[in-house]
Amino acid sequence: MTQSIIKPTKKDHTIAKLAAIAIVLSVIEFFLPSPIPGIKPGIANIIILYTLVRFDFSTAAWVSLVRVFVSSIIVGSFLSPTFFLSLFGAIVSLVLLYAVQKLPKPYFSIVSLSLIASFGHIVGQFIIARLWIIPHDSIFNLLPLFLISALIFGLFSAFVCNILLKHKLKKHTF
Amino acid sequence: MKKILQYIKIIKLGDTFVIVTFMGLIFWSVSQSWNMPSGQYLKIENNQEDSKVFSLNQTVNKQVIGFLGSSEISIAEGKVRFVKSPCTKKYCIHHGWINKINQTIVCLPNQITISIVGDSESYDTVNY
Repeated sequence: MTQSIIKPTKKDHTIAKLAAIAIVLSVIEFFLPSPIPGIKPGIANIIILYTLVRFDFSTAAWVSLVRVFVSSIIVGSFLSPTFFLSLFGAIVSLVLLYAVQKLPKPYFSIVSLSLIASFGHIVGQFIIARLWIIPHDSIFNLLPLFLISALIFGLFSAFVCNILLKHKLKKHTF
Repeated sequence: MKKILQYIKIIKLGDTFVIVTFMGLIFWSVSQSWNMPSGQYLKIENNQEDSKVFSLNQTVNKQVIGFLGSSEISIAEGKVRFVKSPCTKKYCIHHGWINKINQTIVCLPNQITISIVGDSESYDTVNY
């Protein structure tokens, strides 16, 4: 057996572990029934938020994008419209997170980050949906519904992530 | 109750600002979707011929021939509805009046679609 040329660093291991959890969560979420198509709690984003706060932005971006690609392959929606919706949602929310990650800590907690990220997710998906999948202005009638769900689930994942961050973890776990 | 209060405690001043902005966005989007501009034209499509466009600035009842028979559509100064239809469930009639751009009533059994269009027409839906 030849030795692997790629030497994974400690950061790669962290990304792999966190991405694995995020992938499992998003696959579980895929099988959960939803009352309205397209409205999902986005529980995998809790992991992204956790990564962003505990590590740094580039780790969070890696985890987020790895999750989008791998979970779509597992679920079988790779390169389908669903995949592109979730990819652009993730990209826009990462861009917004990059812009706001340096907000002053005394005034902005994880709740702001979570809400801004979920808002970015909705905006990215609507841009792609309007430009490509349903090129018709009437799609914006769905915007209130999706924004309300983004607010609720954004708050929810912020609170869950806050509980996760409170736990003091051992040095070699994450 | 104590636990819920603990969760709320993590919300700081800036977070309230973000939440309020978010709620403002929701109200804005709701008002936008309720105040869609009224359309000027009515487009009727059936299973037999090309779609026809009529002005909405008139009060007239029109007969449209569909798959099952003749449906009656009533135009009344800017709004439109189904009045009579040979279909069994009458969903098209129960839908009531429509007057905003992009609103549509579809009668599937009779294969008739009426929709309100504005001055410029957008693309149709792309399907996969």
